[in-house]
Amino acid sequence: MSHREITVTVNGAVRTATVEPRRTLADFLRQDLGLTATHLGCEHGVCGACTVLLDGDTVRSCLALAVHADGHEVTTVEGIAEPGEMHPVQSALWESGAFQCGFCTPGFVMTIYGLEQDARAGRPCPRSRTEIREELSGNICRCSGYQAIVDGAEAALTAATATATTTTEGAR
Amino acid sequence: MKPAPFEYWAPTSVDEAVKILSGLDDPGDAKVMAGGQSLMPLLNLRLSQPLHVVDLNAVGGMSDISRDGSTLTIGALCRQRTAERSADVAAAVPLVVEALGLVGHPAIRNRGTIGGSIAHADPAAEMPAVALCLDARMVAQGPGGERTVAASDFFDGFLSTALSEDEVLTAVRFPVDGPGCGAAFVEVARRHGDFAMAGVAAHVRLEGDVIAEARIAVSGVGLTPVRATGAEAGLRGAAPGDDAFAAAAAATSAALHPATDVHASGAYRKHVAGVLVRRALGTATDRARGNR
Amino acid sequence: MSSSVMGGFVGARVKRREDVRILTGTGRYIDDVQERGTLTCHFVRSTVAHARLVGMDVAAAREVEGVVAVITGEEMAALTNPLNLGAPIPNLLSPTYTALATGKVRYVGEPVALVVASDRYVAEDAAGLIEVEYETLPPVVTSEQALAEGAPLLFDDVPGNVIHTGEIEHGDIDAAFAEADHVLTDRIDQHRWGCAPMEGRGGVATFDRSTGMLTYEASTQTTHLLRLLLSGFINQPINLMRVVTSDIGGSFGLKFSIYREDVALCAAAKHLGASLKWVEDRNENLTAAGAARDESVTIEAAVKADGTLLGFRVGMVMNNGAYPIMPPAPVVTNIAGYMLPGPYRLPAYRFSSTVACTNKASYISLRGPWAVETLIRERMMDMIAREVGISPVEVRKRNLVPVTEQPVTSGAGFVMEGVTASETFDRLVEMIDLDEIRAEQERARAEGRLLGFGMGTFYEPAPGTPEFWGLIGFPFSHEPVRLRIEPDGKVTAFTTQVPHGQGHETTLAQVIADEMGVAYDDVRIVFGDTDATVFTMIGTGGSKAGMMATGGAMVAAREVRRRVLDIAAHMLEANPDDLQIQDSVISVKGAPASKVALAELAMGCYMAPGMMPQGVDLDLEATVKYDGENGGWGQGSHACWIEVDQETGRIGVTRYLVVEDCGRIINPSVVDGQVIGGVAMGLGGMLLEHSAYGDDGQYLAGTFMDYLMPSAPEVPEIEIVHLEYETTTMVGSRGVGEGGTVLAPAALLNALDDAFAQVGGKRITATPLTPTKVLGALGVIDG
Repeated sequence: MSHREITVTVNGAVRTATVEPRRTLADFLRQDLGLTATHLGCEHGVCGACTVLLDGDTVRSCLALAVHADGHEVTTVEGIAEPGEMHPVQSALWESGAFQCGFCTPGFVMTIYGLEQDARAGRPCPRSRTEIREELSGNICRCSGYQAIVDGAEAALTAATATATTTTEGAR
Repeated sequence: MKPAPFEYWAPTSVDEAVKILSGLDDPGDAKVMAGGQSLMPLLNLRLSQPLHVVDLNAVGGMSDISRDGSTLTIGALCRQRTAERSADVAAAVPLVVEALGLVGHPAIRNRGTIGGSIAHADPAAEMPAVALCLDARMVAQGPGGERTVAASDFFDGFLSTALSEDEVLTAVRFPVDGPGCGAAFVEVARRHGDFAMAGVAAHVRLEGDVIAEARIAVSGVGLTPVRATGAEAGLRGAAPGDDAFAAAAAATSAALHPATDVHASGAYRKHVAGVLVRRALGTATDRARGNR
Repeated sequence: MSSSVMGGFVGARVKRREDVRILTGTGRYIDDVQERGTLTCHFVRSTVAHARLVGMDVAAAREVEGVVAVITGEEMAALTNPLNLGAPIPNLLSPTYTALATGKVRYVGEPVALVVASDRYVAEDAAGLIEVEYETLPPVVTSEQALAEGAPLLFDDVPGNVIHTGEIEHGDIDAAFAEADHVLTDRIDQHRWGCAPMEGRGGVATFDRSTGMLTYEASTQTTHLLRLLLSGFINQPINLMRVVTSDIGGSFGLKFSIYREDVALCAAAKHLGASLKWVEDRNENLTAAGAARDESVTIEAAVKADGTLLGFRVGMVMNNGAYPIMPPAPVVTNIAGYMLPGPYRLPAYRFSSTVACTNKASYISLRGPWAVETLIRERMMDMIAREVGISPVEVRKRNLVPVTEQPVTSGAGFVMEGVTASETFDRLVEMIDLDEIRAEQERARAEGRLLGFGMGTFYEPAPGTPEFWGLIGFPFSHEPVRLRIEPDGKVTAFTTQVPHGQGHETTLAQVIADEMGVAYDDVRIVFGDTDATVFTMIGTGGSKAGMMATGGAMVAAREVRRRVLDIAAHMLEANPDDLQIQDSVISVKGAPASKVALAELAMGCYMAPGMMPQGVDLDLEATVKYDGENGGWGQGSHACWIEVDQETGRIGVTRYLVVEDCGRIINPSVVDGQVIGGVAMGLGGMLLEHSAYGDDGQYLAGTFMDYLMPSAPEVPEIEIVHLEYETTTMVGSRGVGEGGTVLAPAALLNALDDAFAQVGGKRITATPLTPTKVLGALGVIDG
């Protein structure tokens, strides 16, 4: 099986690598780039632990090949805040005591981060707790029972929506 | 669980993809990959071990949504999330938008494609049932050129379609809803976002207060999505309402012989398909009335 | 609250320090261990349930580029000792077995060979080339099949496939039934479901050829036991064996045991002189790691006309799967047997249990492993209420023992003291309006909707008492803690807990900060490393930590604090009793100018002991044990509201209320998280999850597409009320990790029975509560 050279912008940095085409995006990130924040919980696209952003959209990195990212931008948990700092989504989840064992956490952070980016941009995003639960249904957590995750997501999205409203009003 | 090795092809045009497929000793050794949301799990689990993967993701011009009179064409590579959020799709074929909202989860739909879902032909999936219900036409390109296949001829077995091994699905053409049309997709799944135990796509066209035409497709109850032709016939010319819908539900269930698996028994699926037909017809009719 | 504020950490909603690394993705889970040169392992597993292993061809696999070794069962057997994990349990007929199968395979997923390769892709390629020849034998899947006359035997030395039988008897059971106005019977066949932590099992075994040291970094909840057993199984001197943990992606009981994969991995690492990693994938985890709750229970209740309990006669059959592991299944049947009478007055009781072995993966512990006792008892309480014509509230009130009437002898014959199940139930009842619930149900029925309401109460060994664990045959162990003040006055404490989500780095630091008078941020908790922590048999598990680890931390902190005050008393020429430590400064109460900084004192003790006061203990490190005093119990009462779709059979949980009592709360976030997560697990287990096997012993739920974990929309918002009843022990806190999972299935099933009772539905006696079963019970479909 021939290898392919790929160039991927990961968390803002251009990375070049030679990979087997069968290599998943998740394994490329974790093993080839050492970005181990992205976790593998099932490797068949159900649990959502491996969620990353590909060109700004949330995707399962176990259901994409590394070669799919060639020429594209990938964002992982390592890339949403400066080292030693937290993104507002992370802070809100910390505040709400969202997680326990933490294995599913990067996937939830990235899913909620994706929603938060929508909210900041004034795009539709879930508001009610029921909507948030539905939007998070592609991420499985075994520890928390979800309630505190929903608390954190609700707080982060409310804050982001407020920011978006302010920005829009300011622009008028 | 990691994919077995395969030869990887990344054509940049449909012509090239077809050429690659038809140039293989046995095109049956190849899998065509679009969004990969159905194929990747199979590869990871090594349930599918193709010798070749022909990846369409680099093919240009296959993601467009266009409307031509009474036909809405969605390129096979159009991401499900794009179609779901498209005002054009919502206006022309609202059933597609409603069904897409039930496909997996947003992160799946960001990657999954309209064509990929239909070509994978999972009998429990939403898009094949929608295509069958609306009698969408599949545009396929092969070595001999382009052809279109009606949905009623397209799904010919479990995870199997009328596409030949060296053909690529390039677009799906949906008839645009006219006046008096209404549709609904309803399903029952164990969890939010799961493949449904059964699902129903229903489309009705009212003339006056009479059902001029009803189309019903049921997912999750056989080797392919199935049209409830008996129920449809009974509804033609009937007054919409509880009696007609109950008769359609009964006719639908009576014609089905679903299998049992870990999620539901065959008897359950048979019953629930009827329930969903009744519910879907109710919603579809309400929407049709609002559309007059 | 800000972590720089002094004092008052216990009881505060302190943000967890674990979360900083968890949220930023900088944790170290087992697959994040990526040292250069580490090889990857992959197990080849049986594809059949029961067969003789006739042959195996590994030649092609060994030829694959990147493959370092392929080890067969026979080869592994030469490197290891036979595994026997049931030996300490009396009357347990525990067959020994090999790390990789030899001779026979006994479940789908049993490891038969180990591939060692440069990476996982290559290892799986090679595994695909291994041909295993099986001569299949009739599979034994259910307990009934295992116990049937003439059933195929799994092990030559286990007659009748029975590995254990047990009896518990207390009071005059025959008299109770002779006296009864009503005798009710019931049966539950609980389905098999599993732990399914988001991170499966796994480890990295590294053999250092220069020192002969074997280090095993593992995803485990019990490091010392793992080290002890591993060293024996692989003939590694225990002082050359170290087990280490970092972050663990959940366990729920799964990672309490030592597994044959651990043994094979460590033996192979030693054999090859290499560093080997194995990370279980989801398919392996669901298929081969084992599952739980595969048991049938029958109950007969003797009751007076007014609903007063007279006696229970209970029989339990557990499906152990093929191989006993830690803790052996009889521990579970025993706890179930002793807890089954619950917090009720029960004059007479007889319990008998049988553990059968079958061609399934092993029965493992799962959060509240004994939970079936609460399920069948609380359902029986509702049956009794219906039979005698009283409400589910009244039947419990008539039988619960208030804490004011304790100590009292439990229905199973041990001392029950400080159990507040009755008080939690009273509080629950205050928060609901049963008449309004009934009226609402009636209104709903008029609209064609079906609502159900269920409740239940229970208590649990969290941690239990020495007497209780003596009856179980499992020791009530002490909890050691090592604690030292560093030269700069900061505190390092070494716990034997192996936390995997419970937040011990936060809660133990809260406790120690308050005890020592130092800042929370100045306390670090070390865990997991057997080279640093003190031996205990159990790491984290069994809802022990709330009381035992807290107690250990308190005793250690108080001991070191005493030494500090003794030293400071000399330095400040004061009585130790007149000293206080605040903000890491020791001062004389009422004379704050007379003071010495903890850092200054500590530096003196370490660097210039000769210049420090003499005749006092200058050692600022202490290793202590907390004996747990007389232990204690956790308890709670739950109420569950559901709506049943009579056309689709779907059950929606519309409201869920918990009143729990784990004593003094150290961190409300942590306690709430344990309760909510536990309830979610209990509901998911009943409604969605099923480790299903076919008649042929094939496993049917090997992916998360078939093994259905609850996701956010399936879990209701859970309301929690805390009672904080404190017993007379030094530690006001008790465990809280398991109760949600124990009681939620009962409250849910009672709600379903309540719904069915309104429309003549049949009671479901075999779980899970699938839509198919619901429609069958409602008579909508056959079945």
